[in-house]
Amino acid sequence: MSVTGAREEALASGPGAAPASGAPIRQSNLWKDAWGRYVRNKAAAIAGAVFVVVLLYCLIAPFASPHDPDAVNFALASQTPSLEHPFGTDKFGRDLFTRTALGGRVSMLIGFGATLAILLVGVIYGAISGFIGGRVDNGLMRFLDALYGLPYLPFAIITLAIIGRTNTWTMMIALSIASWFTTARIVRGQVLTLKENDYVRAAKAVGARWYRILGRHLLPNTLGVLIIAIFLELPGVILGEAFLSFIGLGISPPDASWGAMAQEGRTVFRSHPTAIIVPSVAIATLVLCANFVADGLRDALDPRTRET
Amino acid sequence: MLKFIVRRVFWTIPVLLVVIFLTFIMMRQIGGNPFRQSERAVPEAVQRNLEAKFHVNDPWYQQYAYYVKGVFTFDLGPSLVVRGRDVNDIVKTHFPKSIELGVYAFLFALVLGVPLGMIAALRHNTWVDYSAMFVSNVFHAVPSFLVATLLIYFVALKAGWVPTSGWTSWEHKILPSIALGFGPMALFARLVRGTMLETLQQDYVRTARAKGLRYRRVVGLHVLRNSLIPVVTAAGPLLGFIITGSFVIELIFNIPGIGQNYVDSISNRDYSVVMGLTVLLSVIVILANLVVDILYGILDPRTRDARS
Amino acid sequence: MRSKTFWLLLAMVVASLALVAAGCGGDDEGDDAAGTGTGATTDEGGTEAAEQVITVNWGTEPPSLDPGLASDTTSANILLNIMDPLVKLDDDLNSVPYAAESVETSEDGKTVTYTLRDGLKWTNGDPVTAEDFEYSWKRTVSPELGADYAYQFYGIVGAQEYNGCDPKKDKCAALADKMAVNAVDDKTLEVKLTTPQPWFVQQSAHHSFLAVHKPTVDKFGDKWTEAENIVTNGAFTLERWEHSSAIDIVKDPDWRDADTVKLTRVNGRMIEDGTTAVQAFEADEVDALLTLPPDETARLKETAEYAQYGALGTYYYGVNVDNIPDVKQRRAMALAIPRQSIIDNIAQADQIPATGFTPEGMPGYEAINPDSPWLPPEGDLEQAKELMGEVASPKENITLYINDSPGHREIAVGVQAAWKELGIDSTIKQQEFQQYLEFLGPPPNKDVDSYRLGWIGDFVDAINFLELWTCESGNNSTNYCNKDYDALIEKARQTEDNDARYEIYGQAEEILFGEDGDMPVLPIYYYTYQGLERESIKDSFELNLLDQVDLTKVVVTE
Repeated sequence: MSVTGAREEALASGPGAAPASGAPIRQSNLWKDAWGRYVRNKAAAIAGAVFVVVLLYCLIAPFASPHDPDAVNFALASQTPSLEHPFGTDKFGRDLFTRTALGGRVSMLIGFGATLAILLVGVIYGAISGFIGGRVDNGLMRFLDALYGLPYLPFAIITLAIIGRTNTWTMMIALSIASWFTTARIVRGQVLTLKENDYVRAAKAVGARWYRILGRHLLPNTLGVLIIAIFLELPGVILGEAFLSFIGLGISPPDASWGAMAQEGRTVFRSHPTAIIVPSVAIATLVLCANFVADGLRDALDPRTRET
Repeated sequence: MLKFIVRRVFWTIPVLLVVIFLTFIMMRQIGGNPFRQSERAVPEAVQRNLEAKFHVNDPWYQQYAYYVKGVFTFDLGPSLVVRGRDVNDIVKTHFPKSIELGVYAFLFALVLGVPLGMIAALRHNTWVDYSAMFVSNVFHAVPSFLVATLLIYFVALKAGWVPTSGWTSWEHKILPSIALGFGPMALFARLVRGTMLETLQQDYVRTARAKGLRYRRVVGLHVLRNSLIPVVTAAGPLLGFIITGSFVIELIFNIPGIGQNYVDSISNRDYSVVMGLTVLLSVIVILANLVVDILYGILDPRTRDARS
Repeated sequence: MRSKTFWLLLAMVVASLALVAAGCGGDDEGDDAAGTGTGATTDEGGTEAAEQVITVNWGTEPPSLDPGLASDTTSANILLNIMDPLVKLDDDLNSVPYAAESVETSEDGKTVTYTLRDGLKWTNGDPVTAEDFEYSWKRTVSPELGADYAYQFYGIVGAQEYNGCDPKKDKCAALADKMAVNAVDDKTLEVKLTTPQPWFVQQSAHHSFLAVHKPTVDKFGDKWTEAENIVTNGAFTLERWEHSSAIDIVKDPDWRDADTVKLTRVNGRMIEDGTTAVQAFEADEVDALLTLPPDETARLKETAEYAQYGALGTYYYGVNVDNIPDVKQRRAMALAIPRQSIIDNIAQADQIPATGFTPEGMPGYEAINPDSPWLPPEGDLEQAKELMGEVASPKENITLYINDSPGHREIAVGVQAAWKELGIDSTIKQQEFQQYLEFLGPPPNKDVDSYRLGWIGDFVDAINFLELWTCESGNNSTNYCNKDYDALIEKARQTEDNDARYEIYGQAEEILFGEDGDMPVLPIYYYTYQGLERESIKDSFELNLLDQVDLTKVVVTE
């Protein structure tokens, strides 16, 4: 056993905890401070709210909707938006409002799933590489360089072709296989820097075990970066999925993702523009929100970059 | 400096070998029959003869060795599906067009995005800033296939100013470059604005401003140089974006680049073309990373030693 | 400087916003596709325009312009216009001598003799001789070339053996000599067939029977088809071929019948994406489209440029008879499909509901078509349900395999709904094309209960369709094997007289689709071709049943 928990807490809590001299000492929390800063940033706050709204829409609308999203009824095909069908209908007569929500589920599932997978692999790879350092680090990073050389979309396409089927899970795999490299690099960089930090050195000097150092010091401090990374990777994955679906290599019907819906909608653009505009705008909204949220998080978690 | 460059270049060779190996293995996994392109079955004798002719059934290490030799002698083999054409021919005809498209898109993004970002930074927190950022965010988020579809419809079809598809005269090249360049343009704008803002806050800038015009000019150049760093950083992953985005743009605008070829070749199981194009794309990505690293080394000497 | 840049940027930003806003502003109804075009309405006797140049969208890059290797319609179309086939098909699909002056078939039907016209020339001046044809046919069958269409020659004595030769093991050259295609003299080509094949002459109108210029092939190898190397002998010559981009052919003024050819130039585009192609047409960049994207058909049908043609092809669903062994279930499944409704609402190209396998337009259709009681155009759900009820142990969960090209899924959804009414739950499994082909085998993957395919005729005789369902056919993925059926097909091969043969075909179709029909396949409809043609060429630009356009007959009118 080594250093007591309390001292490590004090050492580890970072900038948010430093009290102004002379002022009464308030126990503050990094996360609480960050949250405060975040909501004060108007753009980020709005984006966050919109994000949550979209999320809720995708989760709830299919349950609440009276229409069966898979019901084919040609009499109702390609209608313009109305009260009954707020987004109109697609070429099969299916309600677009419900289908967009379902498509959103798929897109976001793929988006979050792939992002989490990216993070998982990236963190493990980067942490190991950075922590062990030396030759192993060198080797792992060289290998990473090689993987960097594989172009993203072709890599994803080949992966899909190998797996053979294209459904939500395979898309997740394909998209994450091709994009975890940057995260690994970032995490490794972080770990390398943090390793030299005073309190880590102190912990080492006192004899703390490696998992304690990793778990108590390094990873929590990378957490902020990771959260930001989620919202930075998410748009890339969603757009990647949209592009793949657009080329025709995406989700097989009747499941749909926004990208697949956009591709279907493009062919009827002349007579029925809503079919491509709705999913595209949905994608854009999600991407926009993710960007703003990422910005807001970055500002909130690391006040040094805040603008005057 | 030279040592740095030489070291980096030296490392690209094993990286390339790994890339070839990975692609090779992945292609072998896909299965399918490159000699059957229609629903009509291929007579046994014909199948047998073709497999022999193209060495499809040789043991894998033989094929691999044969292939690596080919890559280093710049002979990427014959196409399995398009008889009478070599992969080299296909590359020579189509690759330049994709590169052209990418370059134009990049230039468009640069020429429009950087000034936009600078202006936003200089008129920080005014409505100019907000609207510029809003617009650029929107353009970054909206998927390029929607932008392309709208552009074609309004500018080419309705207004008739430019042709709707193809890639022959300069008029043909405008819309696709714009459609592909919108996203990167927005990215550049944001990045430049962010870095400029940071730099502008620095003490030496404030001092220079206070001191007057001459110092301002000197510092202005410095600010510019620093603001371009993120552009260089972003250029690497941006290349990936442009390559993937170009697949979609090429499809929509009927541009005979490698995008369509690539997707078709995977569908047709034209192994040699897929391998050839993937390897080529990898080379480009690796080279681009190399250039970025070197540029980075020039612009920011601190990074030179951090990378072994 | 700064403020000027600022205003410029502001203007661009505002403009872009306006674009986006306008784009979201509601639907476009009733856009006409006409564009500006070449003006006034044409009637039968329209005057010829001064400029006889058109642009056609062929739809894809032709994979090969080598007659031995070409296996798709685009290549076929171009080849048949730049080369001179021995015989050509007229409007009624009868073969007429073309480069040949006359064609004679012997008494026993096993020897066919082509006599070439005088004065046939290649573009480099060399005369076209019967040796050219002998060389070319043997080349197509040679194992080294690996031609897909080599099987078209299997009716010739010695062809199959030659094609099956393994160049690594045996001496194939000897077998080449044994193949019974002989240039008796410069103008006479003699062909000996294994059995009488009344359709052989018609079959020789196919592009794989075209002649190639030996010295050019020898000199340039694989590259002999490039525009700068190729030597042809047809009405048009290949002037320019920019791969995946454009292919232009121009009239050959020295061709034997050049006076009858009105077009001076045909520019070719290769726009694969349907929507992009339609846009190009509407922007007056292209004068003819040979296919249309299914989704735009409804809108484009209303325009004056819409053109539709019958096609020699059948769209069908195959059934794995090992997995669904009860014929009553198969019949019920056939009965339930509402063909006409699918055509009207989904396919929307005025296809013809199939009442047998051989499509309309095939010579002898009246005698061949069984007018199957199990294939009513409107579908018969009542009867289907009844019949389903009689099935002892029905297979209620079936898989329906389709590939991922546009249009198939929508039809599958319609069929799925119909089968649902019978209590059958079908799972649609959509696969990428190559993987799909692997699954179908034959023999088909065990998981395949039903699948979708189409068959387009190679030549104009029903045997091309009916031989699919023989036991050994490489295209039979249904596990259906009926010795009686095979026997009938064999008999047909031996029957010279057309009418007698059509009778036999009719019997074959009865075995498949009659009252006691085995129903290994459920035909859905006979294909049609749809396209857009500018009014100035609409009357003369025609696609025949094999999706071929004869450019020598096209005229641009005022």
